[in-house]
Amino acid sequence: MKTKYLNFKAMMKRTTVFLCVAFLSLVMVQSCADRLELQPEDERLVGDAAFEDPAAYEQFLAKLYAGISLSGQEGPAGSPDLAGLDEGFSNYLRLYWKMQELTTDEAIIGWNDGTIQDLHNQVWTSGNEFIRTMYSRIMYQVALCNEYLRQTTDGKLDSRGVDADLRAEIQIYRAEARFLRALSYWHAMDLFANPPFVTEEDPIGAFLPPQIQRSDLFAYIESELLDIIGDMAQANADPVVYYGRADRAAAWMLLAKLYLNAEVYTGTARYADALTYVNNVIGAGYSIDTSVPYFHSFLADNSSNGAESEVIFTIPFDGLRTQAFGGMTFMTHAPVGGTMNDVATSFFGINGGWFGLRTTPTFVELFPGEENSDDGRALIWTDGQNRDIMTVSMFTDGYGLFKYRNVDVEGNQGSDTSGDHTDIDFPMFRLADAYLMYAEIVARGAGGDANTAATYVNMLRERAYGDTSGNISAGDITLDFVLDERGRELYWEAHRRTDLIRFNQFSDNGVWQWKGGVQPGTTTESFRDIMPIPETDLGLNTNLEQNPGY
Amino acid sequence: MKTFLNAVLICLIMIPATMLAQTQVSGTVTDQADAMPLPGVNILIKGTSRGASTDFDGNFTIEVSQGETIVVSYVGYRTQEIIYTGQATIDVALVEDAAQLDEVVLIGYGSTTKQDATGVVEQVSSEEFNKGAIVAPQQLIAGKAAGVRVTPGGGAAGEGGEIRIRGGASLSASNAPLIVIDGLPIDQRGGAQGSRNALNAINPEDIKDFVVLKDASATAIYGSRASNGVILITTKKGRANQPLKLEYGLQVSTRRVANTVDVLNADQFTTIALANGVDPSELGTANTDWQDELFTTGVGAIHNVTASKGYENFNFRINFNHASQEGPLQDLYERNGLNTSFEHRFLDNDLKVTLIAKAVRDEFDYENGGALGAATRFDPTQPIRDASGAFTQYGAGAPLAPANPLWSIANENFTSRQTIDRFISNLNIDYRFWFLPELKFNLNAGVDYAENDGFRFVRANPNNPDAFDTNEVSNGLNRNTNLDFTFNYKKEIESLNTKVDLMVGHAFQEFYIQSFVDRQSNITLVDTNIERNALESYFARASFDIADKYLISAVIRTDGSSRFSEDNRWGTFPGVSVGWKIMNEPWMEDSFFSNLKIRGGWGVTGQQEIGPNYGFLGVYTPSRNDAANIQFGFVPGTEDPRFITTIRPEGFDSNIKWEETTQYNAGIEFGFFNNRLSGTIDGYYRETDDLLSFVPVPAGANLTDLLLTNIGSVTSRGLEIALNGVIVQNDDFNWDSNFNVTFQEQEITQLSLNDAGGFQQQVGGISGGVGNTIQLLRPGFDPTTFFVFRQVYDDNGNPIQGAYVDVNGDNQITEADRQPYKKATPDAFIGFTNNFSYKNLDLNFTFRGSFGNHVYNNNASDTGNLNSITNQPGYIANAHASFLDTNFSSQELFSDYYIERADFVRLDNISLGYTIPFDKITLRTSLTATNVFVITDYSGLDPEIGNGIENSPYPRTRDIVLGLNLTF
Repeated sequence: MKTKYLNFKAMMKRTTVFLCVAFLSLVMVQSCADRLELQPEDERLVGDAAFEDPAAYEQFLAKLYAGISLSGQEGPAGSPDLAGLDEGFSNYLRLYWKMQELTTDEAIIGWNDGTIQDLHNQVWTSGNEFIRTMYSRIMYQVALCNEYLRQTTDGKLDSRGVDADLRAEIQIYRAEARFLRALSYWHAMDLFANPPFVTEEDPIGAFLPPQIQRSDLFAYIESELLDIIGDMAQANADPVVYYGRADRAAAWMLLAKLYLNAEVYTGTARYADALTYVNNVIGAGYSIDTSVPYFHSFLADNSSNGAESEVIFTIPFDGLRTQAFGGMTFMTHAPVGGTMNDVATSFFGINGGWFGLRTTPTFVELFPGEENSDDGRALIWTDGQNRDIMTVSMFTDGYGLFKYRNVDVEGNQGSDTSGDHTDIDFPMFRLADAYLMYAEIVARGAGGDANTAATYVNMLRERAYGDTSGNISAGDITLDFVLDERGRELYWEAHRRTDLIRFNQFSDNGVWQWKGGVQPGTTTESFRDIMPIPETDLGLNTNLEQNPGY
Repeated sequence: MKTFLNAVLICLIMIPATMLAQTQVSGTVTDQADAMPLPGVNILIKGTSRGASTDFDGNFTIEVSQGETIVVSYVGYRTQEIIYTGQATIDVALVEDAAQLDEVVLIGYGSTTKQDATGVVEQVSSEEFNKGAIVAPQQLIAGKAAGVRVTPGGGAAGEGGEIRIRGGASLSASNAPLIVIDGLPIDQRGGAQGSRNALNAINPEDIKDFVVLKDASATAIYGSRASNGVILITTKKGRANQPLKLEYGLQVSTRRVANTVDVLNADQFTTIALANGVDPSELGTANTDWQDELFTTGVGAIHNVTASKGYENFNFRINFNHASQEGPLQDLYERNGLNTSFEHRFLDNDLKVTLIAKAVRDEFDYENGGALGAATRFDPTQPIRDASGAFTQYGAGAPLAPANPLWSIANENFTSRQTIDRFISNLNIDYRFWFLPELKFNLNAGVDYAENDGFRFVRANPNNPDAFDTNEVSNGLNRNTNLDFTFNYKKEIESLNTKVDLMVGHAFQEFYIQSFVDRQSNITLVDTNIERNALESYFARASFDIADKYLISAVIRTDGSSRFSEDNRWGTFPGVSVGWKIMNEPWMEDSFFSNLKIRGGWGVTGQQEIGPNYGFLGVYTPSRNDAANIQFGFVPGTEDPRFITTIRPEGFDSNIKWEETTQYNAGIEFGFFNNRLSGTIDGYYRETDDLLSFVPVPAGANLTDLLLTNIGSVTSRGLEIALNGVIVQNDDFNWDSNFNVTFQEQEITQLSLNDAGGFQQQVGGISGGVGNTIQLLRPGFDPTTFFVFRQVYDDNGNPIQGAYVDVNGDNQITEADRQPYKKATPDAFIGFTNNFSYKNLDLNFTFRGSFGNHVYNNNASDTGNLNSITNQPGYIANAHASFLDTNFSSQELFSDYYIERADFVRLDNISLGYTIPFDKITLRTSLTATNVFVITDYSGLDPEIGNGIENSPYPRTRDIVLGLNLTF
């Protein structure tokens, strides 16, 4: 019979194949069930594994500081923290600077980046991406600090078996994390009044944080700062360990600023409390060497050229190791253009200008003699520049300011020889500010001593003039004088908007070119003293209510 | 128990033995049209596993019993059935089937015939492919299938194209279809790094057909990767009993850019510059058209040598391919590929083993893309080289100025090479159980392995004396391993007059990607990144064909993805479709129709191609280089800062889950005049929920500002019509024509964590200021809608600078006055192909067209103004010629003036061929031109731009191709 199926060999083969197939199928189904549990296999770490290295606690704390100076995990750009705006633009310090300076008489920018010109024009809306990203950046910084506090609770440290020495260190770190959170909440309160409010008690996810009212946030920041001071390093702490980090004096300074602006924030003035903490700061051992010229404070070697003795809290940058297109790289490049660009390398220590920032005539007028002032703080560039700003996008309209330069006192370029990034450290809090706060409290008749105030102010002016020719007397210390002197001393250091609001000169008072969107300038409505809650977040978070006027 | 098993075994063995005696019969199969013998025709005894196929001369021999039915089938011909009644020989003349209703089409883990398909399945075979020197497989089917939009890339060497099936279903997650090559699903991220188009690993010449699965009832079998459609690519194989066939194909081509950006010429530029205060000493005296100088004519050649042969139990096909293509920007693509396929049948055809193996080396020598923008900006009054022979540059003090474009592309100043070695292989085992011939086991074990190795050198910015060169080495590895198996039971239950086709299967696939980069410049970056993800699946399908009239098919797939947390890991995706072959109803016998079928389907599919692999986990990322460190104090005892590396906790959503798409489809298939005119009409409605979107997260709630999370919904609907006509068909002259048109619309219906209205997100980054966007996502609008100010014009119709419609009436033009306006995606697009043949001469051409799409002319909006000449940081530069029309002094980026209608009709491809049939050799020559002309009102470079934003792209080219094919 001719049937192939009786062939025994063939049948064996078939059976073998069948068994193999059956076996194989079983094995395959079995073997892959647990292969869906995957975790990163490169440098990235998950959960407790991230904290196996004891250095992780310090590295995470460094990230909180980096939240202000850097824009991502790769310098100068790459692996950004925020994705909602170009990485260079999303830098905390750069955005904060723009909020505080571009909206005022101190700075105007010629670029055409989105809604950037709306800031100086004071016509911003809730759709402004710079305002939105500032808001995102602040809340991101708060979220980072919260995560730090969540990861360093006693429970977590116990479970990871952290030893006593490191635990003691971590208590200081935690206080710094809370300081940085308070600092950011202060920025949020100052800019946005009523931001969302999250603490380490909240989870991470896509929930809707509640909105906090400005006065409640004021109380929260105050209580946080008062609570952590004892845990922080001594005021004017040893720079070998604490340069670039916040100590008690930084917390006092922040408290003093909180109280000084309390009337704006809560409706109730707290000048006496402000005075207490200003005095704490002034008594902490910082000093101004009047023989060191004013401009040294803003050079590449400002961490070591003698100007550092007055610095209370600094944001360090380094041309090679701390690189970002925000921060000091922006503040140094953006004002350079026109004939300044011809000396970009030799005078500014950079490879070229970005042809953006200038100042208004109103600011120039703060200096006696204006652009030809004897005041050494008037670092005004007039060559090739027009005094008035007829066309905003035209760089040569408006005088330049050459405050930040990436060269040392000898004129040598900073460490990044390509001229991109700078070594200048940003003095967020410095003694001159504290002195002027003292003078302001005196001028407001809220305490302090007028002669002491004059002594303080004259220290600044002796440094500015190089001699006593610019000195003033106690009687000269009026509110107008203090505001102008703050402009002269602290311009382009991200104080101006807050100062103008406190002196009620920001919106419905005070006129400078292009304010209100017209060349001669005009006043705007007072609701602009507070920034809008960005419409994206309003659309997302139904707990939020828009600030009045927007 | 043992006794029982023995009994069963004996039964199984004995059943065949009890069958009637069989006789051996032989015959010949010919083509009825020309009486030529047909090799490789399938001969099968109905209801048994006995089969044979014809040899080269059309002869076959088979064992058959009295009364059995012999089924003679061949692709492209009508199947014939002959009842054996003792004939001495059986000679069969097959008739070509115009509509090829019996053609077998793949449907994923199985196959069906065209007439039994209930999902929307469209096959595009090699004879329908676009002609030309094509290196990218996706360009083969551009314009060929309704609902499938292939947007070719620019003119760069080795460029591919973007495939969108029914427009894509997602917003932020991938919109690319899943591609399956011979049973191996390819990584949706491409499968290889460093390649401009990873699909180039497949030699277009090696492709037999594409099958496009469009609707969810068809794609649901691929579950979580199916929302954007599935494309099944089958490569060519040898045939059984086929004599050795040798083929050689050569295509030589030239490639020139078809259009350049309209910028001011030197005279216009000089006049404008001098009139606006530019110092004459800053201008040169040359007249340089930088774009003309930059682009060269690229040449290319594609060689294919193929050998194929078939024995009774074994056949193979081996193809060697060498392709080289030069881009007009002196970029180069080269491919050397060895493509092999082997099929072996064992155990009297019960076991078939198919192995495909492809080894491909792709080499890309990339262009310096920066030269494109620079050529539109560089001062046209400057010569290419100065008196000393050096390239003209703006020089120190203008670090932001463009570099001389010709300097930029010179080899000594820019090199960027990537070599990709890729191995794609799939072993398929198809086994029919001898005791139950209706049951088949099918196994695929596939691997797609790629290694890339690259080097990049960028000369320091010539306008910055202090800048550094950049040297970068990069390499990577991609590995995709797949193992799947199915059991398939096919039976005709005569008592119920029903054909049953059941399938169950399991699959596991893992993707591993490693990449390394070492970049040395003024800062150093050395980084290794490893990504692994896996997908496990169970799936099943049941299809019934009742009375050869009513079709019903149901599929289900359960997928588990490593990208989601345990709680959300598994998703189930069902699909159901039905069909009614009206033509087979008795009352249709004398109807006007020669084919009529209606069908409908519903299905749910998913999307897990979301970008990050560990999006549900809280991951810490360390500083990636030494330039992102923070100073904490000083190194004790020194003045050196002490720098700390940072670690960053990443944002995450532990609840992230699948994106789900529900799709409904209804269609009709028809044919007239013996199917010489045939067509299909399909309508669909699709809804994607839990959209995986990269959206703003409520501030403070997470460790990021934009988070990938499940948010919002999108709906789309469309109508697809395809018509095929054989217009003339006679001995000498043939003309057939294919027309397809697709109407589609898409709308965001929700885009927020809550139902509060008014939420929108700006997207579509443009150049001309950092962070600017021109599009928005807003509920109620298409996802590519532009977001602009409404321009106000003067009496002469010229735009007034800065004058816009004050929409909210607050007497200020602010962000609040920007309006949604027009969109980038077309309302309709068409493909129109014609094939003519007269004796040995053939001509075919394909038109593609698109209607209702708009383009934002970013080249014009960015530089079509006076500032771009006179107010640049330290230099003067050229402006876009639109300045002559607008006279804008500065950028008006958000004016709707720059939104232009971009309807177009393009003659994509025209090819003339002549075949000379020598005695032993067939020679075919052809001449092809691509991108011959475009009819459009769009004023910019090219109206066909995927995202609708024209921003110095690599211009498309016009290619002339000479082809030569020899078959022995």
